[in-house]
Amino acid sequence: MKPEARIELGLLENMWRKSRTMFALWFAHMTVYRAEIFIWMLSGVVPLIMMSVWIGKASANGGTLEKFDAASFAAYFLAAWVSQQLTVAWVAWEMNFQIRQGELSSRLLRPIDPLWEHVFRHFTERFVRGPFILVFVIAGTFVVPGTKLTPDVWHVLEFLLVIHLAFLIRFLMQCCVGTLSFWFENATAFDEFLYVLQTFLAGGFAPLEFYPPAIRAVVEWTPFPYMVYYPAKILTGTLTPSETWRVMLITLAWVLAFGILRSILWRFGIKKYGAVGA
Amino acid sequence: MSRHWQLIKIFYGASIAVQLEYRVNFVVNLIGSLLTAIGSLFGLSILIAGGSSLGGWNQTEAIVVVGVFTLMEGFMGVFLYPNLNKIGEGVRTGSMDFTLLKPLDAQFLISSRDVNILRVADLLIGVGLIVYASLKLSSVQSPGILIAVLLILAGFASIYSIWFMLCTTAFWWVGVENITELFWGFFRAGQFPVTAFPGWGRILFTFVIPVAFITTVPAEALIGRGKLETAIGALGVAVLLLIVSRLFWKFALKNYTSASS
Repeated sequence: MKPEARIELGLLENMWRKSRTMFALWFAHMTVYRAEIFIWMLSGVVPLIMMSVWIGKASANGGTLEKFDAASFAAYFLAAWVSQQLTVAWVAWEMNFQIRQGELSSRLLRPIDPLWEHVFRHFTERFVRGPFILVFVIAGTFVVPGTKLTPDVWHVLEFLLVIHLAFLIRFLMQCCVGTLSFWFENATAFDEFLYVLQTFLAGGFAPLEFYPPAIRAVVEWTPFPYMVYYPAKILTGTLTPSETWRVMLITLAWVLAFGILRSILWRFGIKKYGAVGA
Repeated sequence: MSRHWQLIKIFYGASIAVQLEYRVNFVVNLIGSLLTAIGSLFGLSILIAGGSSLGGWNQTEAIVVVGVFTLMEGFMGVFLYPNLNKIGEGVRTGSMDFTLLKPLDAQFLISSRDVNILRVADLLIGVGLIVYASLKLSSVQSPGILIAVLLILAGFASIYSIWFMLCTTAFWWVGVENITELFWGFFRAGQFPVTAFPGWGRILFTFVIPVAFITTVPAEALIGRGKLETAIGALGVAVLLLIVSRLFWKFALKNYTSASS
């Protein structure tokens, strides 16, 4: 084997070892907070509230609204709920805390980008939240008879791929907001703005089909529908293959855009950073 | 009683003085409150597109509900959140001891220590929406207004009691600090008239989580659609919740053994 190849293998092995350690560490950490995670999960109930409002509206309208009947509303909002649950991120809040309290200093001394700590916190949290979500989805499909949550394996696989990218949009977007804490004391307020926009534009409130065309055209140019609306459409199998491809590419583009923005902001911010008392 | 008023004045004065130091926060929070209100109205306009109704409520009538909801949101943010959510911390760190030792009712002290003026905008926006919609509705009459004010106060009492009970669970579940988020999540159903929900939703949001009594019933009274039964129901729920939460608090205190003892 050539020496370079050996170094490369060593690097890979090293990365694998680091990842395993980080995973074990943060997974253990997250299991401690299982009760809180369960409550956070239950509190993200907006898509389910909207599900019942829209079903109520459809039945008042004689059963259907723009090709949506009770079963397809149920399927859409259940899928939207799952998408929202799997893309939850709180990294902006955590970065703000670490920067204001000076906790970032000890992180900077470690031989690894502090970003990875946050990635693993969120990643392992999903493994604690996952079983709860699964129980709710299975229960949900029984509660509303005839829910058309797709049984197609392909749609589930596409969804699993796209939901990871969707999570990365939300995560990296919050990372950008988090780096603003280098300049502003209360940068989490920006996160609240994003949260409000997301509540009404991501798709947990209504399928985009019901938005006025002019507004929908604008919303399509924002990252929000790629976090909840499109993943939910893919999971319910209501997108054509060519649309699915387009959605995946645009989602990937948003991930890249926010990734690049984050690294630029981080580079400038870290120069600005002086720990408390420095 | 006058002693209590005086203490509230002192507590709030001190709390406000601290917050006045961070003036940028005001602007930022004001934008946040406005965005939320615009979002709610936008959401409503999607649900009531093309002049359709939402559970029998037209757009202007439904705005009254959004207004009451925003007002309640403001009440939670201004008066409840900065006080009651510290119960958990007090139990965990043992600083609850000092509260309990004061020669004053501990529930009063815990509930009135702080006020968050940053969220006052929500109160104002809520009132603004109610007034705006009322001016456009001819069915709004003065007896209805009086009853609505009474019912809104009852709504404050109900929310306070539920929130207080949730925070009191910290005496047993020290780790679960986000339990009020649970109520907060479900309370969002209150931005719509309860008739917008199908049958099972109506039952859930009336009897299990009494959101309907807190937002829909006052709005109904205001727009002149109030029924005597529901108004009495809302008042009854408020009184009942106040009593139950007081008893629950007494029960929790009996079980309090301070931190690490």
